[in-house]
Amino acid sequence: MLATIGLQHYLILSALIFSLGVLCMATKRNAIGILIGVELVLNSANINLVGFSKYQTGKGDGQIFAVFVILLAAAEAALAIAIFMNFYNNVRTIDVDRGDELRG
Amino acid sequence: MNHQFEICLALGVVVPLISFAILVFFGANPPFGKPRAAYLAFAAIATSCVLSSYVLINWYGLSVAERTELTENAFRYHWADFGNISIDVGVKLDSLTVIMYFMVTFIASCIHAFSIGYMSGHSDEVGGKCKYHRFFAYFGLFSFSMLGLVISSSLLFLFIFWELVGLCSYLLIGFYFHEKYASDAGMKAFITNRVGDFGFIVGLALVVLYTGTFDLDAAAASFAEQYHTGTGIFAESISLFGWHVSGMTLATLMGIGLFCGAMGKSAQFPLHVWLPDAMAGPTPVSALIHAATMVAAGVYLVARVFRLLTPDAQMFIAVIGCITLTITALIAIVQTDIKKILAYSTLSQLGYMVFGMGVGAWTAALFHLMTHAFFKAMLFLGSGQVIEGCHHEKNIMKMGGLSRKMPWTGRTFLVGVLAIAGFGIPWLHIGDIKFGLGGFFSKDEILAVAYERAFNMGGDGHGESHESGGTHGENEDHAAPVHGDGHAMANVAEGVQLASADTNASALLAAQSAMASSESGDAHHAEHGRADKMKIAGTLPSLPKWMFWLPIFIAYVTPFYMMRCYWLTFRGTPRDHHVHDHAHEIPWMWVPLVILAVGTLVCSYMLFRPMIADAGGVATHAAGIVAIDGEAHSWEDTSGQVMLTVTHGSGMDNPHNALALIVGFSWLIGMGLAWLIYRNGPALAGRIKDSVPGLALVHHALEQKLYFDHVYNYALVGGTKAFGKLMGAADGVLDFVVDAVAYLFRGIGVFAGRQLDMGVEKRDIGLVDNIANFLAWITYMTGTGLRRPQNGRIRTYVLLTAGAAGIALLFVLFWPHSSDAAEVLSATAQP
Amino acid sequence: MIEDAAFYIFAGVSLFSAIAVVLSKNIVRAAVGLLGTLGGVACLYFLADANLLGVIQLIVYAGGTLILIVFGIMLTSQSPWVGFLPTKVQAIAASIVAVILTIGIVRLVTLVPWAQRNPDELSQSLTVKSIGDALLTTYLVPFEVASVLLLVVMIGAAYLARTEK
Repeated sequence: MLATIGLQHYLILSALIFSLGVLCMATKRNAIGILIGVELVLNSANINLVGFSKYQTGKGDGQIFAVFVILLAAAEAALAIAIFMNFYNNVRTIDVDRGDELRG
Repeated sequence: MNHQFEICLALGVVVPLISFAILVFFGANPPFGKPRAAYLAFAAIATSCVLSSYVLINWYGLSVAERTELTENAFRYHWADFGNISIDVGVKLDSLTVIMYFMVTFIASCIHAFSIGYMSGHSDEVGGKCKYHRFFAYFGLFSFSMLGLVISSSLLFLFIFWELVGLCSYLLIGFYFHEKYASDAGMKAFITNRVGDFGFIVGLALVVLYTGTFDLDAAAASFAEQYHTGTGIFAESISLFGWHVSGMTLATLMGIGLFCGAMGKSAQFPLHVWLPDAMAGPTPVSALIHAATMVAAGVYLVARVFRLLTPDAQMFIAVIGCITLTITALIAIVQTDIKKILAYSTLSQLGYMVFGMGVGAWTAALFHLMTHAFFKAMLFLGSGQVIEGCHHEKNIMKMGGLSRKMPWTGRTFLVGVLAIAGFGIPWLHIGDIKFGLGGFFSKDEILAVAYERAFNMGGDGHGESHESGGTHGENEDHAAPVHGDGHAMANVAEGVQLASADTNASALLAAQSAMASSESGDAHHAEHGRADKMKIAGTLPSLPKWMFWLPIFIAYVTPFYMMRCYWLTFRGTPRDHHVHDHAHEIPWMWVPLVILAVGTLVCSYMLFRPMIADAGGVATHAAGIVAIDGEAHSWEDTSGQVMLTVTHGSGMDNPHNALALIVGFSWLIGMGLAWLIYRNGPALAGRIKDSVPGLALVHHALEQKLYFDHVYNYALVGGTKAFGKLMGAADGVLDFVVDAVAYLFRGIGVFAGRQLDMGVEKRDIGLVDNIANFLAWITYMTGTGLRRPQNGRIRTYVLLTAGAAGIALLFVLFWPHSSDAAEVLSATAQP
Repeated sequence: MIEDAAFYIFAGVSLFSAIAVVLSKNIVRAAVGLLGTLGGVACLYFLADANLLGVIQLIVYAGGTLILIVFGIMLTSQSPWVGFLPTKVQAIAASIVAVILTIGIVRLVTLVPWAQRNPDELSQSLTVKSIGDALLTTYLVPFEVASVLLLVVMIGAAYLARTEK
């Protein structure tokens, strides 16, 4: 029933996690929930990179790109959390729907 | 290969840029501040001047063969490739570059020195912004871009520097930006130049499209080859807006496009309107940018792209130049603002240069550019002295008798007036030295070529067939090996010029010796002169007669208005005692004037002309832009009979034999007439104006600058308004139609109601109202709908973005042709 | 065969954790779900011969970023169990979009005949050493740029999160 694992399997898994990440971003009102959705999306990209690296190039370049993606995700999370703290200090909530005014 | 010349020239370009960078950031405060900022700028341009002098002296010592070798091996750095187009950074190193570079640095140095004094009297503070250092910073930027323009070997970089000088011009015209007239003038200059630059860009695009290179030499060589073989642009046949455009027309359009840039920068008709307004800038700016260097850049551009011009394009250029020089000289007669007079005379002289380029007087036009730069810079600085000394009085009607108050200014101004008037005595020469000032040689040389062209007169050699082979062999050692394929004739032209320049180069008074030796029957030169005339006679289309007579006429007008300006300003009795009593000469500021006056006196004798002629040989060989009349596109017949070598051979000797009767004493007649009329002030002129019928009308028209500004205002500004009105009228028609439909339906309704015997309600909501309401509703709903997603909520944005991406994806994949997409994708899916 | 089974197991873990992330109303549970996804994906990396990447995923992502997120939750939630729920319309619209995206991408992935090589032929020694070499030779510039970026982020985050007086 299940074929041998190939590139397509990785890609489909990646597609599903990507969609779930987008869904997470689009439904969570908690800012950190949105951040979690972003992490999911980035992970799905990494799965793609690793899949191609394994089945197409056979070299390490895809993995190195994935390393950079992880790095950027970490940086982004750090900054995002800092911004959320600031936001929380100002508005006393973490609900992004309250952040629709361009006021400080 | 060591590139010492290129290094010197490039250094000279960079030094003013460094000065600019320092001044623009740190110029306002110590250690720079008020006087020192100017010293730094002067030191920078003086350094450039020293470097260029070094290059000039060394270059002058080289033989022609060595120069040619240097020109061909000039520094090129391959910078980038875009498709088939390669872009090189390089230095165009030939005699024209060297001499032009020297001219710019020398005059710029003088004007910098003058500005130190001129600007010291100006108030510093405008709204707390120190302007003093900005002035010199802009001067540095201008020097950088102008020098860069001169040494660019590639049209792309030429264009970049071209725009940079335009920017500097804008900044400096609007230097007193808090005054409305100054900022308006700056914008006018900028916008007018954009119009020209649009043509320039189109021309540039055509050049790159068909020759595949930006490099001046490579483009010209490719263009000539395309003409030889009838390929490339000449094989083109396209349809443009329903018009059939042949390759030759396209090539002409290309040339005209490039010339459009020159039209803007050199303020040629019909884009000449910005230059008089540009006088709103400080006077040193007018002297440097709007008289000596930047406006001449247009002529320089035409000279550089001359090899890309077809005869039709040349004729276009000549016509434009002819119109410009005529109308602007006439306008200059009635101006009363001293700077405006000089501005219009600059326009007129630029017209002469462009006209010269157009008739093929390449050498003469550039020679005129050089001499004009000297005396016009000096005249402007003199007017700056006058304006500054008279406390910003510009009206010459209020001056008079100033030469006693400012003797040096008066003397140098007179030298300038004589030079522009073409002071000189035909036939008279002491040994090899002819007697005359700049304009005498250069302007008459242009006229001589026009004369040849207009009357197709070739002297004793006229009509003989030209033995190309023989001449070629004779000059073989001088002929450059470049472009050797099928360019025999081109090499002849080059050889002729180079040979002469070579002979002349040994003598300091080269131009004069060339003339003298030619006149004294030196076989070598005489032969060339004859050969040159033959080339002209046989190849180029002849000039319409009016295009010869108009410049001749203006040669009489020029001395008239210059003398008027001089006499009303410096001589006679003071007409406004307030102005006169306070007039004074600013100490030491006349020193640059005297230096420039000496330059004016000697520049027509010194190495200028032979250097340009030398450049003409190299720069224009293989141009092959000569007569291509009718369908006979045979390059072989006409190729390389390039460049009206007559400018060199007979330009200096012939005109003062043949033309001397017509124009040789124009300076005397024009100036004498002006002296007769304005000897006792402007009163007599006013009486003449009133007594001769019709003259007042002409006077008024000229005073209004022949209504160009009015026409542009009316046609462009008013045109836009009229278009608006037209649209309004169209709206009215639509309203009428709508109303008519409404009445029609209402009538039908009433009719139907009567038929049905139901009566008609008073308040019937008609179809039109419904339509209007419906439209309003749609607009409202669209607006509301569009407003909704813009709610500042991040999740909505995520949703919209992702949704749009998903729908696009589905559209691509599930559309009936999705198999095509799959093919494309599978092609890219391979590693 | 075992590898195939392992793939399905880890993929399933990741997927279900991701679904849990989306569906959980409590943000802390979402974070725990994310941990599951990250762990499952890390295991997939090991399966795909990307050992170093798997380790980095565990250390940096699960060990660092996730802890950061949990700290963020702790610091910004007045009570630990506060969640904000989306409206029904929003949830439905988001679901539709997600379904569309899924269909689109899955269709795209299945449509293309991906060139594939046998991993056994390709199985070179993708060791930590080789990747480290590549990072410090071929990819040195991005590597250095990334280090600068991290420094900037560190300063920026410290600046943003400071207490304003």
